[in-house]
Amino acid sequence: MVHIALRAAGAVLALAVAQAGTPASAQDIVLGASVQLTGPVANTGRYYKDAYEFTIDKINAAGGVKVGNEKRKLALKIYDNQSDVNLSVRQYTQLVSQDKVNLLLGPFASNFALADSAVSEKYRVPMVQGGGASDQIFSRKFKYIFGTLAPASNYFGSTVAMLKELSPPPKTVALLYADDAFDVSVAEGTRPLLKKAGLNIVIDERYTSNASDFNSLLSRIKSVNADVVLVAGHETEILNFVRQAKSLAAAPKLYSFTVGVPSEDFRKALGKDADYAFGMTAWLPDSNLKDRWFGDAAQFAAAYKAKFGYDPDYHAASGAADVEALAQAIEDAGSLDPKKVRDAIAKLNFPSLYGTIAFAENGQIDLPQVVIQVQGDKLQPIYGGKGFIEKPKYPMPAWDAR
Amino acid sequence: MDLLAQVLINGTLLGGLYAVMALGLALVWGVLNIVNLAHGAFIMLGAYLAWYLYTYLGIDPFLGLPLTAVVMFCLGYAMQRGVLNLVVRAPMFNTLLITFGLEVVLTYLAQLAFSADFRTINPPYAGSSIALGPLVVPLARLMAFGVAVMLTVGMWLFLLHTRLGRAIRATAQNLVAARLYGVAPQHLYAVTFGIGIGLAGAAGGLYGTVSQINPYIGATLTAKCFAISIIGGLDNPLGVLVGGLVLGIIESLTVLYIGATFGDVASFGVLVLVLILRPSGLLGKTA
Repeated sequence: MVHIALRAAGAVLALAVAQAGTPASAQDIVLGASVQLTGPVANTGRYYKDAYEFTIDKINAAGGVKVGNEKRKLALKIYDNQSDVNLSVRQYTQLVSQDKVNLLLGPFASNFALADSAVSEKYRVPMVQGGGASDQIFSRKFKYIFGTLAPASNYFGSTVAMLKELSPPPKTVALLYADDAFDVSVAEGTRPLLKKAGLNIVIDERYTSNASDFNSLLSRIKSVNADVVLVAGHETEILNFVRQAKSLAAAPKLYSFTVGVPSEDFRKALGKDADYAFGMTAWLPDSNLKDRWFGDAAQFAAAYKAKFGYDPDYHAASGAADVEALAQAIEDAGSLDPKKVRDAIAKLNFPSLYGTIAFAENGQIDLPQVVIQVQGDKLQPIYGGKGFIEKPKYPMPAWDAR
Repeated sequence: MDLLAQVLINGTLLGGLYAVMALGLALVWGVLNIVNLAHGAFIMLGAYLAWYLYTYLGIDPFLGLPLTAVVMFCLGYAMQRGVLNLVVRAPMFNTLLITFGLEVVLTYLAQLAFSADFRTINPPYAGSSIALGPLVVPLARLMAFGVAVMLTVGMWLFLLHTRLGRAIRATAQNLVAARLYGVAPQHLYAVTFGIGIGLAGAAGGLYGTVSQINPYIGATLTAKCFAISIIGGLDNPLGVLVGGLVLGIIESLTVLYIGATFGDVASFGVLVLVLILRPSGLLGKTA
């Protein structure tokens, strides 16, 4: 009880001590965001802060955004929500009601976007967010929320399509997922795909977010001898999962994870043990993805790495796309009126470093997921819309045969 | 049948790790009457220390444990003399506040110093295992279990048979009488807190070897240690070992038979049951 009261007190303090990004001049267009800069999700949250600032600086360096006949600079007002959903809702309320920011950028993670989108809807200020993929966010007929992550329900879509073409063909699947908005959506979307593909789901188990012990689940997976293990969870859980799989000598033919595999930090933490892990990404730094501000995705990735010292993954690219979407919509609308910008966002259709930005009726983008695999010290694209890109390393060898 | 045996092995090894994490918390709580909410944060610091020793100096995490423990002991000693001593006679609520504050400060300092990146202590044998027929015993966990048993028994013998240990127990039982017999409580409290933090540091090194390290692992570990201390009782380090084992095995069996979301429900359910049926812990003296 004391703990909770104190946390609340700390949260109030944090609200008072606002963390401003670039100082805004009267003429600037202010974009507001509340992001996880500290707390358990800070690891991914900071990608969004970096991507927002990076893209805003780039647009400003090119002169800014054209509103009607004048060019205006962008500014970012960002708060640290300490990985606390309730705090992030209060901060978004403050951003629109007191700070009077013009438009909103999103937080990381589906459960945050799910709660925060209620604020943008209530105050009728459009939010373009690149951190929440859960289908729940877009199933409420909200008009002011737009998302640049592909739908959670289809995260494993390309993976399941690939499973059908592997030899020897896998027959049994274990599906594990954490008990939060994103991962539950992933599981609900994946189940019918697996059944349609004729695969037998031998374990279908929900686990507690932040679980650190997977020994019991792994022992079960081993005892039923599942060919494929699909895990929808968070990076910390997946790190523990892989390490414990090794120490229990549990090696299915293939395992794939919703997060982690695309992040450099994750692969570094696991070292050689990351080898053979599958994942997926809706974005790869491809020079064919042309971009108005950065040239193309490859140039974006190189400049980003030079500035921040780590490779951008799809989270960062999605965050950059959010800023670009708002900039483009402001120019299309020729106004900062939230309602007009909202209508312009709904009509967007432009090429960017992240792919073509266009939103469906419900406000979510639809991008295909490319299956990726860690092979040695490289991250290889394996399977996309047109079939195999690189040869998968399959089946995964036993741990002691590596 | 194999599955049940395997899960029992998993639970036992997990319980050993739990016990070594809770040992320091129970000691400090029992002797100083401080529920150290920053205990998990000290485990986290110990884990980072072991990580640096392994990554930059190549010191094996198990061989580095004594070094980690000594450094953390000094930190704990200084922390008690400098900070906690100010509230040593204050009501429980004040000590809760100050240790909670410590937890917040240590966590945020850790993020500043180490960033939110994940780390793992990954010596070549970390993923190795011993095969016993169809069963698998993870090597690093087995070693961690061994260390846990050694530390627990060591603590027990230390409290029972050494002069310092007896002084610590005497102070816990009756401060006035202990002072009359020449115990200097200030130094003794700081030593006890130092030992508690040293144990937390050692536990951190073990934790980093079997799990992952980031600045935010502390709070959940504190909660777990709190439960173990209550289940096992504060009087006796052996109680903490029993508490850890009970919790580890119950959690593992719950995940196997009931469901993976019910692990915490089971462990805190046991906590409530123990509080009702045996308020001073499984191995505690009954009133």
